[in-house]
Amino acid sequence: MTWQPEIDELHQREQLARRMGGEEKVARHHAQGRLTVRERIEALLDPGTFHEVGALAGSAEYTEGRLAAFRPANFVMGTGAIAGQKVVVGGDDFTVRGGAADASVVGKQIYAEQLANSLQIPMVRLVDGTGGGGSVKLLEQHGYTYVPANPGWDYVVDNLSLVPVAAACLGSVAGLGAARLVASHLSVMVAGTAQLFVAGPPVVKFGMGEDLTKEELGGADIHQNSGAVDVIVQNEQEAFVQIRRFLSYLPPNVFHLPPVQPSEDPVDRRDEYLLAAIPRNRRQPYRIRPILAALFDAGSVFELARYGRATVTALARLDGHPVGVVAADPFVGGGGLTVEGAEAMIRLVDLCETFHLPIVTLTDQPGLVIGRGAERRGTIRYGVRAVAAVYQATVPAAEVIIRRVFGVGGAGMTNRHRFVQRYAWPSADWGSLPIEGGLEVAYRSELEASADPAALAEEIRARLDAVRSPFRTAEHFGIEEIIDPRDTRPLLCDWVHDAYRLLPDQPGRPTHGTRP
Amino acid sequence: MSTKVAAEVTGVVWRVEKSVGDVVNAGDVLLILESMKMELPLEAPIGGKIAEIRCKEGQSVSEGDVLVILA
Repeated sequence: MTWQPEIDELHQREQLARRMGGEEKVARHHAQGRLTVRERIEALLDPGTFHEVGALAGSAEYTEGRLAAFRPANFVMGTGAIAGQKVVVGGDDFTVRGGAADASVVGKQIYAEQLANSLQIPMVRLVDGTGGGGSVKLLEQHGYTYVPANPGWDYVVDNLSLVPVAAACLGSVAGLGAARLVASHLSVMVAGTAQLFVAGPPVVKFGMGEDLTKEELGGADIHQNSGAVDVIVQNEQEAFVQIRRFLSYLPPNVFHLPPVQPSEDPVDRRDEYLLAAIPRNRRQPYRIRPILAALFDAGSVFELARYGRATVTALARLDGHPVGVVAADPFVGGGGLTVEGAEAMIRLVDLCETFHLPIVTLTDQPGLVIGRGAERRGTIRYGVRAVAAVYQATVPAAEVIIRRVFGVGGAGMTNRHRFVQRYAWPSADWGSLPIEGGLEVAYRSELEASADPAALAEEIRARLDAVRSPFRTAEHFGIEEIIDPRDTRPLLCDWVHDAYRLLPDQPGRPTHGTRP
Repeated sequence: MSTKVAAEVTGVVWRVEKSVGDVVNAGDVLLILESMKMELPLEAPIGGKIAEIRCKEGQSVSEGDVLVILA
């Protein structure tokens, strides 16, 4: 007598679990342009690597002691591989009672987080629906209510300081699901089929009187700039591609260094384009992204936090070594540091500090943005918080000054009180205040006393222009090296080896917990 | 179906490049704003005909002010 009958029952129950909410619900889900949770997991992971945990969890109905019906818990989880690296993946099953808590087994969500935390491997959440949030129906079912606690949140928060956490918003996500989406290092959202909000339209209409559709309340247009979502994609497949790509720059946990890949892009690539990339006319903006492409390994620039707008942040590689990148987009308000830019910068610096990625800053910073709108938003506080993040980072850093460095913002782009491998392009232009604007303030009394203020201003401007050349700064060793822009990639590819040699032998947790 | 094109930044209208009635393509420069001592182009988000220009050269504008209406 063997245990074969029980093995047969096991397979039977697993079959039932795989049906999810049933054919009809699955068909309706597909009709909305969305994949089922099992299809999503399949698409995310390396083929055939999904090992499910907790498949048997759910509600069972028995007739005469025999299993008559089974509704699986609406959360599917387990381990799998992404590019060979083992990860934990958990996804909400929207076909089973819309992904709400009364049908899910909360234990599975908590276990998934505990698994990632204990095995110290990356956590991927495929969020749909309320992601395990409660429903008032539970009150009647149970006959009592309870003080809410976000399940597994001790692990959820700790995981941010331990392993890469990536999450995708794949449906109308609210409440706890929304929280689980953004308690991550990377949040991705699918435009059109997914929305993100604290509470959905019915609750909002009742509580606030605002009558909005799901898209109007929390669609891609809202989250393009909200700061809650790092990357917006056009379809679900793309979401999985982005998550896989993001994880490829990071170690599996904080106790390892970032994975170095062999690079096919020559380290001595010198793009002629760089010699003219910065316009000679100081008032003309330029496109930063072609410059990034010229400096970093081909195809390796992975932009994050698009809501940063004027501040561009990305992961990239130099000679196969992952690095963080901070740059400016002068087309957006001149590239000055805004509240959003500061937030994006802090997120990138903290990510690199947590996972031991050296940081490259391409500085073109006119300073914190000015004006009443900027003051109302407390720009100085956010800007200084970004500078504090930069000063608190211990990862090796390099700076290429490609144009302006002015003010507190320019000064704070790198830690100017420790060693930073620094280069300047001939287009570099720096000082406490720019001459344009600074002149009128500093020489106000002379200009007011003059018979011809315009002519005097021109004369003063000519005198100041004569000494603003970066070569003069170099004479005083105020800048260590001015380089041919075409030499930048070879120099950075050489530096990255120094940087990786300086990373700790025994890397560990960040000194302060990482916040989303 | 008209499209409002708003200032993306607070600044001064430095140069208006188009006129009412002009047909533009997505990406065409409608006007240039000066802010943070830079000349920043305001591009048409979609193609269309310029129905209204709600600003003039030298005018101070705030982020979010509607400057051009495309039909």
